Amino acid sequence: MANMVLFGVLWIVISLLGEWGVTAWINSAPNGTGPYFGSFSNLGIIGAGAFDFLLWVAVPIFVFVVLMLVFAMIRFRVKKGETPDEAKNQSRVNKTFIGIWVVASILVNILIWLHPNASGLEQVFAAQKVTAKQHPLIVDVTARQWEWIFSYPQYGISQAVNSQGDDVLYLPVNRPVKFVLQSFDPFHTYDYQVDVIHSFWIPGFGVKQDVVPGETRTLVLTPTQITSTEKNPMVRVQCAEDCGPGHPYMEANVHVVSASAFAQWAKAQAAGGS
Amino acid sequence: MAQRASVEVKTSTPVAPDRRMMPPVLRALLFAAIGFVVLDALTVLLDYSPQSPYLSQTGAVAGWFGALVGWLLGIGGYEHIIKPMLGFDDPGYKQVGWRRFFQLADDHKVIGVQYLVFSTGTFLIAGLVAMAMRFQLMSWQPTIFQYPQSYLNAVGIHGTLMMFTVATVAMFGGLGNYMVPLMIGAKETVFSKASGIGVWLVPVGVLTVAFSPLLGAWTTGWRGYEPLAASDGVGMLYYYLGVFALTLSSLIVALNLVTTILFKRTKGLTWNRLPLFVWGILTVSLLTVIWFPEIQTTFLLALTDKMAMLNMFNGLGHALGFSEFFWLFGHPEVYIVVVPALAMWNEIIPVFTRKSLFARPMAVLGLVFVMMLSGMVWAHHMFTNMRYSEMLPFSFFTEMISIPTGFAYLAAIGTIWNSRMRLTTPMLLVLMSMFNFLIGGLTGLFVADVPANLQLHNTFFVVGHFHFTIIGGMVFSWMAAMYYWLPKFSGRTYNEFWGKFGAIWVFVAFNATFLNFFILGLHGMNRWVSAYPKYLQPENFWTSIAAFFLGAGFGINLIHIVWAWVKGPKVQENPWQAKTLEWQTSSPPPRYNFEELPVVVAGFYNYGEGAPEPVIVAKQAGTQA
Repeated sequence: MANMVLFGVLWIVISLLGEWGVTAWINSAPNGTGPYFGSFSNLGIIGAGAFDFLLWVAVPIFVFVVLMLVFAMIRFRVKKGETPDEAKNQSRVNKTFIGIWVVASILVNILIWLHPNASGLEQVFAAQKVTAKQHPLIVDVTARQWEWIFSYPQYGISQAVNSQGDDVLYLPVNRPVKFVLQSFDPFHTYDYQVDVIHSFWIPGFGVKQDVVPGETRTLVLTPTQITSTEKNPMVRVQCAEDCGPGHPYMEANVHVVSASAFAQWAKAQAAGGS
Repeated sequence: MAQRASVEVKTSTPVAPDRRMMPPVLRALLFAAIGFVVLDALTVLLDYSPQSPYLSQTGAVAGWFGALVGWLLGIGGYEHIIKPMLGFDDPGYKQVGWRRFFQLADDHKVIGVQYLVFSTGTFLIAGLVAMAMRFQLMSWQPTIFQYPQSYLNAVGIHGTLMMFTVATVAMFGGLGNYMVPLMIGAKETVFSKASGIGVWLVPVGVLTVAFSPLLGAWTTGWRGYEPLAASDGVGMLYYYLGVFALTLSSLIVALNLVTTILFKRTKGLTWNRLPLFVWGILTVSLLTVIWFPEIQTTFLLALTDKMAMLNMFNGLGHALGFSEFFWLFGHPEVYIVVVPALAMWNEIIPVFTRKSLFARPMAVLGLVFVMMLSGMVWAHHMFTNMRYSEMLPFSFFTEMISIPTGFAYLAAIGTIWNSRMRLTTPMLLVLMSMFNFLIGGLTGLFVADVPANLQLHNTFFVVGHFHFTIIGGMVFSWMAAMYYWLPKFSGRTYNEFWGKFGAIWVFVAFNATFLNFFILGLHGMNRWVSAYPKYLQPENFWTSIAAFFLGAGFGINLIHIVWAWVKGPKVQENPWQAKTLEWQTSSPPPRYNFEELPVVVAGFYNYGEGAPEPVIVAKQAGTQA
């Protein structure tokens, strides 16, 4: 009984300390994104919220088991000089303990499935249903071995490039963007074998979507902060599915800019004759 | 180590051979070479044109099958399988002493040791590949891997060998073959000759995969996935063939052990008394029987697809088809790896805590439910490319599987509570394994959550997660089992100081390495890259340093275990006072395990005063210390 009380007190105290530490970590960046670096879009913020919530759930579980292991090593170990006898308490069943364990593990799993999983997914799904009223920016993304090609049909830009001729993605802040994702090689359309699965990932936006040959997929998100690859290397397009030898180099720079700066850029790109 | 185990066997092995025969391994190599040349020549003859090269894709595949058959005949299949089938007498096993280990054997203990040696050797090879990968990742630019495809090929070989030759094999083919018949009081396994053939598929598979880049680099990682495989080098074919050999080997283990467990249990060994480790092997065997044929079929389809361009798995067909087939097997595979480890914890804990196993039915049910649920979670590997409507059910089952997995913890924690724990090396390693697997499981909460998964998928967060489950769960338990059963294998034991030293070294280095992976993943480090943005270099550098310490730590443990096996201090029978049947015979056990079969009258995990003795009869006179 003394062990149980001691263990219970330690568990509660250390769990509270852990929760305090985790909360400090979470709040070390705005919007609770301390441990989660990909939160510059509406979808990323959903993911960050899920991550934070799961950290809070995980702490008491982690503390319970680890404290149990350490506690047992200290309190229940046969120390030097003691006779190594059999344990006195040989209880092989404790219905209360087993019952609490089973019910608690079922409840925790249902809880985290409902929230943050299902609730977060509902928000992700809702974000995909963008209407014409919201004036989404449409970006056609073509993934090939090994290049990201961005075209902006609404602005007459067939391939956005920067002054060095590298592919570049410009996005206006706080406006929904609908990425239309396809995997094929516009320069070698006869060779279907080079069309492989890529994954369109902007780490700073906290979301990725695979680009599958033979299919057209979409991803809708809204960038929420003005930033760029130069300011934060997390904000870059990076292929996240192994797509062959050029995979590590399949990336492109991203600029999230104000609406007016975007309009200016789009005008210059379209005039650039690309 | 081979000489040790041979001492007891003299009685049942035939006397020295009447005529010298070629060492089976050499003969097998010769037959394999002949088989390769003959079948390759046949492909040229059947489809002859003046320009055709002698070695083509088709020729390499046909030749491989020829080499496989030649190898298995040469290693002993000819005398012990083909000839008896044709009505000749089996000539018996002419090799004695250490040479027994270098031929086809029918003794499950020899086969178990063969599997363990192959697993350990492959662990070293694939581990050195991992060291090379970590060396590369110390820099953000190419260093030792000048081309990304050679790095990707190294990743593929590391993963393939670790999964199919170490993680799946060491506790299953190795410890399972050696221990299960002893633990159920059987004299031998049911399909002992098939089992003996099966183990020799392992070196074939390992060499095929390890040398596959010679035919052309492949870049798909351990999944060998289409449509990328179609444009990869011809080495891809040898990946499929190598894995085919390795999975066939494990499939034979599964068929053999599941039949043995069903039909060869000794008198009184009811399902309620079956040892935990045997339950673990039984569930794993069933998983293997269900899922390995599925992946083998898939690999043969992919092989055909690559040679004949059937367009099944690319943009013209169903580009995600291969991934779906692969993960349908791929997730049960994870539980094939970890279930023996979970079972091993509760095998070892009661022995060292001197306390009756707590909630035994729950521990068993946990293993069984993990087995049943494991086929329903696989699509969580595809959250980034599946239909939205599939996300909710698959995330549901994925989270639910933590409930039966938790039952292993429930039993373990209930047992160590108020116990009298002897903190020996195996016990310490079990506690470490519980710690590591807990981190693996809790990080699973994050990757099972779909909104978070869309960020974490294919980053180092996931790499950290599965290394925590596989190394942290399975490899630590494997080490615990090796220290625990050393006195059984060889009648010798390890040094307690060096055992603990090695365990703590590996534990610290392992956590220092792989905890970093989570942070790296959150910082945007993706998988399968030999070059990465420069801002990630400092973290990667320190991760690599820790990884080198981890590699050295495994070396320390390996040297210590081999030393203990061969030259360690002799130890009394049953030094841990364990109650399971494998300890009821001499160490190492005689050829047919028990002079007289033991009869079980009670469960094996009862301790304390007045606990019933589980076994009557059967102790060989004079062996009990």
